[in-house]
Amino acid sequence: MSEAYELTLKISRYDPDNGRSWIQSYDITGGRILRFVDLFRKINDEQDPTLAWSSSCEHGQCGTCGLKINGKPLLTCELLVENAVRIFKTTTFTVEPLTVAPLIRDLVINMEEAYEKVHSVKPYILRPAPEHPDGDEYRILPRVLETYVEATRCINCFSCATACVTRKNYLGPNAMLANIVRLMDPRETAKQERRDILYSERGTPRCRTAQACSYVCPKDIDIAHFIALAKEGEFE
Amino acid sequence: MTDRLHIDSILTPDVLIIGAGGAGLRCAAEIGERRPGISVVAVTKVYSPQKSHTAAAQGGMAAVDPNDPVDKIIYHMFDTWKGSDCSADQNIIKKVCESAWEQILWLERHGMHFSRTEEGRIAKRPFGGHMLNFGEVKASRACYEADRTGKGIMDTVWGEALRHGVVFLNQSVATELLFRNGRCVGAVVFIEQNGKFVAVLAKATVMATGGKTRMYQVSSNCRQNTGDGLVLVLQAGLPVMDLEAVQFHPTGIVGPGILASEALRGEGGILRNKDGEPFMERYAPTAKDLAPRDLVSRCIMTEIREGRGCIHPDHKLPHVWLDLRHLPEYVHKTRIQEVCGFFCKFVGVDPQRELCPVTPTAHYQMGGAPTNEFGEVERRPGEIVPGLYACGEFAAASLHGHNRLGTNSLLELITMGRVVGERVATYVHDAEDAGPVPQDAGQHVFRRFSRYLESGGHERYAEIRKALKKLMTEKVGVFRTGEGLQEAVEELTDLKERAGRMALSGRSLVMNQELLQFWELDHLLEVSMVIAFGALARKESRGAHCREDYPKRSPEFHYHTLAYMTEFGKVTLGKRAIDMSIFEARGEHHEKFGIIERKY
Repeated sequence: MSEAYELTLKISRYDPDNGRSWIQSYDITGGRILRFVDLFRKINDEQDPTLAWSSSCEHGQCGTCGLKINGKPLLTCELLVENAVRIFKTTTFTVEPLTVAPLIRDLVINMEEAYEKVHSVKPYILRPAPEHPDGDEYRILPRVLETYVEATRCINCFSCATACVTRKNYLGPNAMLANIVRLMDPRETAKQERRDILYSERGTPRCRTAQACSYVCPKDIDIAHFIALAKEGEFE
Repeated sequence: MTDRLHIDSILTPDVLIIGAGGAGLRCAAEIGERRPGISVVAVTKVYSPQKSHTAAAQGGMAAVDPNDPVDKIIYHMFDTWKGSDCSADQNIIKKVCESAWEQILWLERHGMHFSRTEEGRIAKRPFGGHMLNFGEVKASRACYEADRTGKGIMDTVWGEALRHGVVFLNQSVATELLFRNGRCVGAVVFIEQNGKFVAVLAKATVMATGGKTRMYQVSSNCRQNTGDGLVLVLQAGLPVMDLEAVQFHPTGIVGPGILASEALRGEGGILRNKDGEPFMERYAPTAKDLAPRDLVSRCIMTEIREGRGCIHPDHKLPHVWLDLRHLPEYVHKTRIQEVCGFFCKFVGVDPQRELCPVTPTAHYQMGGAPTNEFGEVERRPGEIVPGLYACGEFAAASLHGHNRLGTNSLLELITMGRVVGERVATYVHDAEDAGPVPQDAGQHVFRRFSRYLESGGHERYAEIRKALKKLMTEKVGVFRTGEGLQEAVEELTDLKERAGRMALSGRSLVMNQELLQFWELDHLLEVSMVIAFGALARKESRGAHCREDYPKRSPEFHYHTLAYMTEFGKVTLGKRAIDMSIFEARGEHHEKFGIIERKY
C-alpha cells in the first residue's frame, strides 16, 4: 500500500564562492518508494534550487550518486525511502559527500582526483596474449571467467574507498580490484608489472582486512575476497 | 552582458571530441592506434567518462559470427532494413553489418569480458527483430556481457582512451561550435566545476553526445541527456534529421522508467496483460514477444487503452506484466542478474517469484545530425561541413531509419566510432591548423547565459519542466495525431516564452546546477519543437512514428526529414533521399531490400 513519510534531511552544504560550510536541514514528505535522488530533486523543485548534488543513470549502473547517509556510503539512486527508514530506524538522515576527493559545491566532489588511483593501475590490458591458433576470439572457459567475473562488475562508485579503514597512501579497494581483474584475466600477459603494482607500498601492505569494502559495496562484490587472494599469494 | 562571461583560456589539440561515451571513445581509440602522435581532448558532461550513459546499455551487440553455420550477414542486413520500416540507408546497413564481427573481436582483444559458451567462445542470445532466413525464425546473434554489455564496452574504450593519453574535460559542456569560412574549428566549452569558458581550437571536431529523451515523463535516459549537442548543431544553422523518430522501449520499469532489457524476453520472458494473457501472440504470431520495439510498445499501449492494463499502486501509472518466473534459476543469477536486481531495488518485486510491472519508456533517438557513410556531418545532402564529424546515437547516418532493432545501437557506436576515427586521423594529417580564436567566439552562449543571469521573472523551472514532459508524453508520444501535434507546437511556444521569465536563485558560475538546468530546459524545448514539427509534417506512420490519423506508411514520405531551426519555432523542413544501393545493385536477394511489407 502507498504511504508517505515525513522526513528530515540534514545536508552538508559548501559554497566555493566564499568558502563557507554549513549543515542545512530540509523537512520533506517522501513517498514509500521514492529514491533519495528523487528527494534531492524535490528539494530543488520545491524548496531550494541551489542545492547541488550528483547523479547520472539513476539506476545503480554508473556510480555517480554515491553519498554518506547517516555515515554509510551508498548509491542514493538505490536507496528507497521505506528501506532507509527500515535500515536506519529513523526518519532523520544526515547527508554528506564521499570523502575521497575535494569538494566542489555542496554534495558534488571533484571525482577526477579520486579516479587518479584507478588510472594509476592502468585499467586496460597492458600486453595481450597472442591470438588463438584457430583465430577469432580468445577462448575463455566459463569456469575460468567465473573466478573473476564478479570483480569486473565494479562501477568505481568509491563507496568502498570511503568506507576503507586505511586512509592514506593506499590505492583503495576499487583500484586494487581493477588491477586484480587483469591479473586473473588470461588475456593479460604483463603479470609481473601487475604484481609490482599489487604488492607495492600502495598495494596489499596497506590493506588491514577490515572488509568494510565488501560490506558497503552496492554491487555486492566481495572485494575483500579478491584482496585476500592477493595476500595469500594466489597471483605469484 | 555581464563581464564575468569571457573566454578564459585556449586549448589547441588536433582533435576535439564532444561526448566521451562509447562512440566518442571508440573514435579516440582508433585515432590513437592509427596515429599515436595526434592529441585529443574529450569533453564529458559527467564525473568521469566511465560514467557515460553507454555503460547503462544491457542486452547485447548484434554481429553475425562467420563461424555460425546458419546465420548470414545478409539476414542481419535484411532485419535492419525491415526493422527501420524501409527508411534506413542501405550503404550504412551494409557497412555496419559487414564490419560487426571484426569490431566484436576488437573489443574482445582489448579486454571486454563477454559471456562465454561451454567451449569458451563468445556466447550469443536472441533479440527482437533479429531472424534467420529473411524473417522466418529467431536468430542468436547478440553478443553480450551478461546484462551489462554497455558497461563492458564503456570500460574497454575508456581504458584504451587512457592508454592513448586522451585529455578529458570532465563535468564540462560544449556550448557553441566555432567556424572559420565554413570549416568547423572547435567549440567553446564551459567547465562547470570552475565556472570558466575555454575555447578549444581543433583541426577536427567529433560530436558524440548521445541521446536526448529527458523531455518525456518516463525515460530510460540519464539526467544529462537533454539534447545539448542537437542544439549546438541547430544554432550553427545546420540541419538535424528524422528527429520525429523517437524510440519507446516497451519494457521500462514502472515509475523511474529504468530499462528492463529486451534480453529478458530474449531469454524467454513473456508479456502478459491484467488477465494473464500472453497478448503478443495476437499481434505478432511469428516473432511474438521478440517483435521489434515500436510494435511491442504500441501493443502494450493498446492493451492499456482497451482496459487490459493494470495501475501501479505507488506510481499510479498504467502498466502490463513481464513474466520471468518460468526462467531457470541460473538464467536469473548469471545472465539477467543486474536487471532482476532493478526490480527488487526499485519496485520491491522478486522476478523469480512475482510478475514485473513494465510500461513503454522513451529510450532512443533514431535521428540526429545527418552524416554520410564516413560520419562527416552534412550541411545539406551531399555537402559536408569540413572538420565536423558525428557518430553514435547523436548521428544519423542512418542505420536505423524510423525504428532501431535492439543491439544495433551498441553495434553502430562501435563500428561508426571506428570509421570516424579512421577518417579523422587521415583528415588531421593534412589539415591546416585551426588558427586563432574566431572574434565572435562565445557570443552565442554568453547571450544565453546573460539572459539566465539577468532574468527576474516569477516562472518556476520545475513547473515548466513538468508541463513539457506531460505535453510530449501525451501529444508527441507513442501515438500521435495531427491535432495533438498542432497543439503541441503552440504549447511549446508558450512554454518557451515562460522559460524566458525564470529567475535564478544563485548567480555563481561555479557548479551552479540551476544555471545549467535553465540551459538544458531551453535545449529540451528547442529539440521538442523540432520533434513535433517533423512529426506534424510526416503524414504517415513509419516505424516508431505512429500517426493515428495516417495509420499506414506512404510512398509519398519515402525520405529522411531534415529540419533547420536557428530561431525558436521557425522550423524549415527539407528532405534527404533514402539510400537504396543494395536494392539498386540488383545482386542476389536484392528484392528483399525494396519497399517491403512489415509483418512479424
